[in-house]
Amino acid sequence: MASSQPGTGVSGLARLRSALPFSSRDWGLLLVAPGMILFSSFMLYPIFYLFYISLTDATFAGSVIGGGAELIGLANYAQLISDPQFRTSMGVTWLFVAVSLVVKVFLAVGIALLLNHVRVAGKRYMRAAVIVPLGFPGIFTITVWRGMFSDARYGVFNTILGRYNEFMSSLSAPQALLFDVPIGFLSGRWEAFFAYVTTEVWLAYPFMVIIIVSALQDVPKSLHEAAMVDGAGALQRFRTVTLPAIKGPVLFASILTAATSFQQFLIPWVFNQGGPSRQNELIIVYGYREAITFNQFGLSAAILIVGIGFVGLFMYAAVRYGGLAEGVGDE
Amino acid sequence: MSSRDSAAGLAASATALVASVVGMVRAKLVALVTAPKRFAVMVQRAIYDVRTGKRSTWDVAKSVLMTLFGLAMVLVLLFPLFWITTASLAEGSRLFNTSGIFPDPSTYNLGAYRWVIFESDFFFVDGDWGYPQLVLGGGDGLVSFRWAGTETGPGAVFNSLYIVSVTLAAGFGMIVPAAYAFSRRQFVGRKRILYGYVLFTQIGAGLSIATLVALYSLFSTYGLTNNLFVLGLFYAAGAIPFNTWLLKTYMDNIPVSYEEAAMVDGASFLDTIREVILPLTKPGLAVVLIFVWLAGWNEFIIAQTLLRPENYPLSVELYNIATEGRFSTPWTRFAAFANLFALPVAIVYFAAQRSVEDGLSFGGMEG
Repeated sequence: MASSQPGTGVSGLARLRSALPFSSRDWGLLLVAPGMILFSSFMLYPIFYLFYISLTDATFAGSVIGGGAELIGLANYAQLISDPQFRTSMGVTWLFVAVSLVVKVFLAVGIALLLNHVRVAGKRYMRAAVIVPLGFPGIFTITVWRGMFSDARYGVFNTILGRYNEFMSSLSAPQALLFDVPIGFLSGRWEAFFAYVTTEVWLAYPFMVIIIVSALQDVPKSLHEAAMVDGAGALQRFRTVTLPAIKGPVLFASILTAATSFQQFLIPWVFNQGGPSRQNELIIVYGYREAITFNQFGLSAAILIVGIGFVGLFMYAAVRYGGLAEGVGDE
Repeated sequence: MSSRDSAAGLAASATALVASVVGMVRAKLVALVTAPKRFAVMVQRAIYDVRTGKRSTWDVAKSVLMTLFGLAMVLVLLFPLFWITTASLAEGSRLFNTSGIFPDPSTYNLGAYRWVIFESDFFFVDGDWGYPQLVLGGGDGLVSFRWAGTETGPGAVFNSLYIVSVTLAAGFGMIVPAAYAFSRRQFVGRKRILYGYVLFTQIGAGLSIATLVALYSLFSTYGLTNNLFVLGLFYAAGAIPFNTWLLKTYMDNIPVSYEEAAMVDGASFLDTIREVILPLTKPGLAVVLIFVWLAGWNEFIIAQTLLRPENYPLSVELYNIATEGRFSTPWTRFAAFANLFALPVAIVYFAAQRSVEDGLSFGGMEG
């Protein structure tokens, strides 16, 4: 805090101070500055640098560092527009975001309602248990899911499906209800996509549950009781009391988790590196691949800049419509 | 206020922080141990209510059914963790064989954990532990203590701990003052910076991978690759927006009147920080501690790109075990390694669940 106090040389300092765009009451800025500088130098600066690379024909790290790359303007972006792989990647990324978001919202609302229900005993412990996935490292949980989705005949899900088949056949169910095991979860396009979505949902639901539960707990009990006295059924109460209360938080959490889904890298990379045959390359995987495997640094930078742009839009939407920055302007 | 005084204050608040985390773990344990008793009381009361006709049998049955439904759901959701824990106990027996999803309980053994501790690079390279040695009359005073006998050197856990301590020190040093300033002070650009931070809250790991291409070039240009210290700073930088925002929201909920009252009683500015702000934000600080720790502990793609093998932290080692073969993972060893890697954090996280919930619900407050 010593740095915030004026030193000697008062007259010169006073003149300097009056020239500066801030006054001594702004010393709070000094507390914020170190973090801002660190953040800018490690996060913002690389983004600008990435943008610069996207304007060059850099092919590998050495050509960026050694200055062997030339500015080629927006040629990389032009190439992207005509690149079918870019369109595939964008399409599958948006599909991934949309599908996993819908499943997430329904699952999380369901869990939150159940674990906030008066009739469930020990719900606090259950809530503590269901948000545990958030506490484990992504590489751990994602690899575990890959193991469960194993293509092998005796992989976990294939075994479960096999048991299900046996059970259904013992009931002499029609053939249409049976699964064709083993399913190649990681080697088929839509099978892999299904595996991605399942894992993504599992990774993201705890965050949503936390937010929805806290919104539910803010609903006064009297509101429910009043609705009950008025003869509202469970469904009607959900629509008129619960839904308005959780709408805002759900929207907020949706935008945030959608932004994270959009940047999902680990799931496709660990599962099958965006395969089979590059059909499931989410946008970040696509960019990373172009740089690491194909030595197209310039193109890769352009892809990633596009990706960052979309995430920026998400976050802007969150601030603008999701009330994310509420509390910034108050006081 | 002398610098020694504030240093002592800092040390005291660091100790208090650790104590509060330990306290949370203990409270959780006590709650868990006493849970069966509370459950028994609940059952007794339900039986009593049915006997005296206060509740109908159907009413009780509905509660039981709902609870069972909740339990079943929890079990399904946590199935992957359960599966991998059983897998870690089955070193030697083949997973994915005909015997079913879970390995045969009669073959459970701790072989995989033994492998992690005494053969993998987790603690020491190749698990070569060495031994402690007392040195008499060496250069470091009369009696000193050193670790001797490990020919291969310290392993990944030390790299991880080093990175995390840098991340924690840098992160806390920047997050706590900034959160205070955002919460209590008015200054030029405050709103704009805060908006900027909020924009970046959700962009953690994803953004670093996106900028990896640029990062690698920049780090190479400035000769910063293979530097654990810089990597720790980098993780701290990524953790700053979210955690500053989180802690600021937490501090906003402390009434300003507390500080004013302390000021009236003659407390100096630093006293109010030490006696009012820090103690009251302890739960928030604990959450930030967890998140900043996780930021340094879990990341591996940047680490793998920037570091050379002798400096790999645990997360990269874990990834390497996971991808030893292209599609085959030595599951039992992977599971044991991952459990030792993740469990300490998961336990603290579980204990601090209440604070995490409070902290994370910051944006959903309006409703």
